[in-house]
Amino acid sequence: MKLEEFATGNSFIHHLDPRGKVVAAAFFSGLVSLTQSLTAALAALVLPVILVALARLDFKRLMTRLAVVNGFILFTWFFIPFTFPGRVIYSIGPLDIHWEGVLYACLLTVKSNAIILALIALLGTSPVLDVVHALSHLGVPDKLVHLFFFCFRYLHTIREEYHKLSEALKVRSFRPGTNLHTYRTYAYLVGMLLVRSFHRSQRILEALKCRGFSGRFYILHHYQMKRRDYLFTSCGLVLPCLLVFIL
Amino acid sequence: MHISEGVLAAPVLLVGAALGLAGTAVGLKKLDYDRIPQVALLAAASFVASFIHVPIGPASVHLVLNGILGVMLGWVAFPAILISLFPQAIMFQFGGLTVLGVTTCNMALPAVLGYYAFSAGIRSPKPFVSGLCSFLCGFVAILLSSLAVAGCLVLTGGSFWAGAKMIVLAHIPVMFIEGFITLGCVRFLKKVKPEMLEVVYARP
Amino acid sequence: MIRLKNICFNYNSRQVLDNIHFRVNLGDRIGLVGPNGSGKTTLCRIIMGLLTPDGGEVEIFGQIRRKENDFAAIRGRIGFLFQDPDDQLFCPTVLEDVAFGPLNQGKSPDEAKRIVQATLARLNLTGFEERFTHKLSGGEKRLVSLATVLSMEPEMLILDEPTTGLDEQTIETLVHLLNSTNLTYIIVSHDKEFLERTTNKTFSICGGEIACS
Repeated sequence: MKLEEFATGNSFIHHLDPRGKVVAAAFFSGLVSLTQSLTAALAALVLPVILVALARLDFKRLMTRLAVVNGFILFTWFFIPFTFPGRVIYSIGPLDIHWEGVLYACLLTVKSNAIILALIALLGTSPVLDVVHALSHLGVPDKLVHLFFFCFRYLHTIREEYHKLSEALKVRSFRPGTNLHTYRTYAYLVGMLLVRSFHRSQRILEALKCRGFSGRFYILHHYQMKRRDYLFTSCGLVLPCLLVFIL
Repeated sequence: MHISEGVLAAPVLLVGAALGLAGTAVGLKKLDYDRIPQVALLAAASFVASFIHVPIGPASVHLVLNGILGVMLGWVAFPAILISLFPQAIMFQFGGLTVLGVTTCNMALPAVLGYYAFSAGIRSPKPFVSGLCSFLCGFVAILLSSLAVAGCLVLTGGSFWAGAKMIVLAHIPVMFIEGFITLGCVRFLKKVKPEMLEVVYARP
Repeated sequence: MIRLKNICFNYNSRQVLDNIHFRVNLGDRIGLVGPNGSGKTTLCRIIMGLLTPDGGEVEIFGQIRRKENDFAAIRGRIGFLFQDPDDQLFCPTVLEDVAFGPLNQGKSPDEAKRIVQATLARLNLTGFEERFTHKLSGGEKRLVSLATVLSMEPEMLILDEPTTGLDEQTIETLVHLLNSTNLTYIIVSHDKEFLERTTNKTFSICGGEIACS
């Protein structure tokens, strides 16, 4: 789980206020997901490409990430060109490839990758907790933010517990296979993880109480929107509109 | 069960977002402040557990576990599933921000339905009733989730029919596996920590 | 400071504490020993009001405490160090975590930051402010969780197995720190040598009963 592999960096993009980046990313994704024109989608793709270049992200890691998240898009290529009605351009046996289908699959691919790249460049370049912190400033309810906050904090701890449990299975020569014994073992493993998390959450609550928790968290770091943040966010709102609506 | 960004049509995305928002609001309302660590850690645990790959024949599938989460959390499954999707959405970009509402609904609605349909049966002292209900709970959750994903695609365009059918068919083995895992998991919890199945988090 | 009278506690129909009496006076440095599962942690959690005894009376700072609110008032005055530091450290950074208690006590963010720096300096942890809590080593986690307790400026400490998993050097830091304070404290531990160096009284719990040894 490489949750924050793009978060460390020293570019201009990394130092922007996460609130501005969240607003720009949400707006861009929304706008691009609504567009139905391939030209507009292609034009919109230019912006995240520029952002990724500005953020100086590791090219190899970026490509690996794109390859992984394009699985679903690849899946659509297996049927959209055949099932989308339109002009037949080629036939493989009983299957006809339609030109409009190919265009539609292209549109989906470009839109999807434009949004993915924008999210990597904008949200991936801030640590997860900063993004969540930004969301809490943007009106996401406190309960949800706190839920996420605890969930994220203990993800690593629970993962370590999972690793210990699965190592314990290995040293007792457990070999997974397609049989009931395997499924039962995994069910107990999941049950154990849930029970341990439940116990841990009870201890966390006690620790919170011992430290005078009264349902309120205090934030020590505060962001300052600087001039460049305002400038960036305004560009993030205006440029995509121009590209999508003019083309 | 993630649908990529940029695939679904605007009305589907908007309805998904609205339903997701409503479900999350109900869930948050039912969630007391001092239950936050519990729900957050159960969400984290199910997120970690969803990385377990269970072999089936030559292939393997990963767990989803929305059925068991629904039984334990009721409506609170909505915010719990939302926060476990969130890091994937913003960090892995597996279904990013625009599809977050749709994906939350696809996973959480079956969880909540499972809670209403099966949680009474699961708590039954009769081993057969309890076992059957827990198997069905896991099975039906995946069935409904995959139908929901397929439905979103078909509503976007008729050309997705073939893909939608493939998704549901591909999830049939997952349904059985989740059924068995939920069955075993409930038996384990009943022995070790029965209060986790008493739906302490949800005020019905 | 603390007086427990006729405390009984059952866990899953097993009697863990059977009608025990226990007293802590100002300046006491108590070691609490006993076999695994004998109820040492249970006793500590009853003092903190995290568990409600099935019978008996808990008197802390001269007042009988029964309800959650009675205990909420004393929790800042008694610092409780948990067995597993991961349960205690939940904020992303050390600074936020150590400041959490003082902020709950109504200190301003600036005051809280000053307290954090002073506390970290006391534990030789200066410079740890921006470190991520979940990425600290086991020993560092233990010291930081002690810092989260000390930053609330308690009058008394309860340390639940503070030396498990620590190397000798960290144990030295701990011994030095405990000997240099004049706080009253209770330490639950299996580490005889550590208790000899830090405490002046030992109680042992066994079979539901407590005895001074």
